[in-house]
Amino acid sequence: MAGHSTWPEWVYVGVVIALLVWVGAEAWEVERLVEHVPEGAEVIKVTGQQWFWTFEHEDGTKEIGELHVQAGKAYKFEVTAKDVNHSFNIPDYVVLMDAIPGRIHTVWFAPTEPGEHEIQCREYCGLIHYNMRGKLIVEEPLS
Amino acid sequence: MVLELAKPRPIWQIMFSTHHTDVGLLYLITSLAFLFMGGALALALRLELFFPGPQFIADSMTFNRIFTVHGTTMIFLFILPFATAVGNYFIPIMVRYKDMAYPKLNAIAYWMIPPSAALMWLGFSDFTWYATPPYSVISAPAPAADMWIFGLKILGVSSILSSINFIVTIMKCKHPDMSLGQVPLLGWSFLSSSMIVLVAIPTFAAALLMLLTDRLGVSGFFDPTVGGDPVAYQHLFWFTFHPEVYVLVIPAIGMMYEIIPRFSRKPIFSYSSGVFAFVLLAIVSFSSWAHHMYATGMSFTEKTVFMVGTLAAVPASAMHVFNFLATMWGGRIRFATPMMWSVGGIALFFSAGAGGVVNSAMPLDFITHDSYWVVGHFHLFVFGTIAFGSLGYLYYMFPYVTGRMYNEKWGVIHFILAFIGAVMVFFTQHVLGLFGMPRRIFDYPPFPEWIAMNQIASIGAMIIGVSMVIFLVNMVYSTAKGKPANMDDPWGLGGKYYYPYQRKNPHH
Amino acid sequence: MRSIVGLFVIIVILIIIPSIDYAFGQEEPGKYLDRRALIWNLFFRMMVVAFTIGAVVSGTLFWLCWRFRESNPKAVQTKYEQAGEW
Repeated sequence: MAGHSTWPEWVYVGVVIALLVWVGAEAWEVERLVEHVPEGAEVIKVTGQQWFWTFEHEDGTKEIGELHVQAGKAYKFEVTAKDVNHSFNIPDYVVLMDAIPGRIHTVWFAPTEPGEHEIQCREYCGLIHYNMRGKLIVEEPLS
Repeated sequence: MVLELAKPRPIWQIMFSTHHTDVGLLYLITSLAFLFMGGALALALRLELFFPGPQFIADSMTFNRIFTVHGTTMIFLFILPFATAVGNYFIPIMVRYKDMAYPKLNAIAYWMIPPSAALMWLGFSDFTWYATPPYSVISAPAPAADMWIFGLKILGVSSILSSINFIVTIMKCKHPDMSLGQVPLLGWSFLSSSMIVLVAIPTFAAALLMLLTDRLGVSGFFDPTVGGDPVAYQHLFWFTFHPEVYVLVIPAIGMMYEIIPRFSRKPIFSYSSGVFAFVLLAIVSFSSWAHHMYATGMSFTEKTVFMVGTLAAVPASAMHVFNFLATMWGGRIRFATPMMWSVGGIALFFSAGAGGVVNSAMPLDFITHDSYWVVGHFHLFVFGTIAFGSLGYLYYMFPYVTGRMYNEKWGVIHFILAFIGAVMVFFTQHVLGLFGMPRRIFDYPPFPEWIAMNQIASIGAMIIGVSMVIFLVNMVYSTAKGKPANMDDPWGLGGKYYYPYQRKNPHH
Repeated sequence: MRSIVGLFVIIVILIIIPSIDYAFGQEEPGKYLDRRALIWNLFFRMMVVAFTIGAVVSGTLFWLCWRFRESNPKAVQTKYEQAGEW
């Protein structure tokens, strides 16, 4: 049909598809590993509302705006919201999950060493969205 | 020629006309006016973000309104009307018919735009161009929100009407001697994008209606307290707007298909690949919408399905890039202004697509979602590809519309400044997103890296602003006083300028 | 020959080594998977591929613009111009 040789285009499309298959496979593998919540992860309930974060630990302790965790332990966040959509984000630990009213989403992480990290909101939620921030404080393990 | 400022036609003659060139001119002037208005808003945003802390924008609500109207304007009042302008001018000529299939409907579709634009601008809503509930239902200030909803409803109808016109004109009104396989690729690009519009826009119309009834309190589609789900809106929205972004880009690629072969003095390398790629893209664009929703708690399987759907659209776009490069190979290229814009557009199209492939990888979304990476990515598409392709085509059709030549030197300067500016703003914003800066924020903590990158981006935006002022002056001056163009071959390429059977405007 | 060796090295680094790492990775209390490392590692590997391809595509585009510009001393009329079909 074409008046010229078409094999370069076929090779090109083949290379593009091979690359995309590689991207897909790698992404699938990493996502599979990242989504697997370890057993025994301690549950922390995270609630976003205009315009601050509150946290509730398994033992009932509640925190506002600040979250204290211990290095070396695994934590599972159950994230929800009270009013509009927010998104719970700890950029240093690549934790990101939307907080949506009426739904509970889970995301886990395991901090590795003590330090202070930023918590921010990653979904537009109105007037103070830009300053809906918090602090993650990772402490030395107690045990 | 339809626009001769030196010998003006009565304005009412253009306004009440239904001829495709006059309706095209109306769309063109409207889209360019909103390009400048939306661009001014963008400059205001970038100036505000130059330093942390409030600068000259009084509060975050004003900032939020500005970015909402900026985004909505650029998409619905610049890109779409500009593409419709080009379609209106050239589809009848390309298919050798006297006008669009339904000229009066065509004019009606245009005249829906000013009232919608008025509703949107007078309301100046703040809930981002997504209008996601529950914020848009319970927290966004009225009447701005409702005015935006009504404005967009009307724009959706306008889009559907012009798509119907394009499809019928191309498929049913084309010359009897012309088969579909002889319609130029620009025509095919309008056919593909119009098909997408017909399938995708009604979904958004439904979503808007649901949003309105929720706001009025008569329904609870997106209200969890009565059994609704906010995420349902996102599915409806993105089911429309992921294909819609292809509606935005496909005509711009079609415009490049007019310019690149002509300025390379060769026919397109593979017409059939171009057609295949357009049609495939139109179909596959419907398979990827929830890649915008990876963070909404979707299951692993759902995310995988949409990642595959997203990646499936890449080969079609890659085919266009190959087609352009293979066309330039062996050519004798004149780098006049339209060609520079098209080639620059391809380079940025590729970068945008590469960044998009990164986004589509599910775990990488945890880094990039709702950060400035996304802002940089989509602006490389809407500015770097679509605006570049559109502006290049505007320079190309300038002699056709006005009978005069624009100033070539200032056209090149416009391109160079815009390209440098685009790289400075949008490539930097990718890195800014990697450093964690969220989008849609009025202010940011004084992290040194964030400050430095915001400043680079703001300087780049100012450079783009300067280039657009140059562009405006060039366009206005050349329309009134430019040298009359050689209408057979304005750039001296040796080939035909437009299709030899071009129609004249009956008023001339 | 050298390019094949280079390609082989790149494939090993990008694909095989991380896969082996994952296969032997295990979780115990105190030694959980670090999601930061996994995700950023994938990101940087994809950046290597993206920039390589970017270099190829933009390099080709630069070369095409340079070689086939009409002011190039080597520029000749295209066969379509010669045939009068242009």
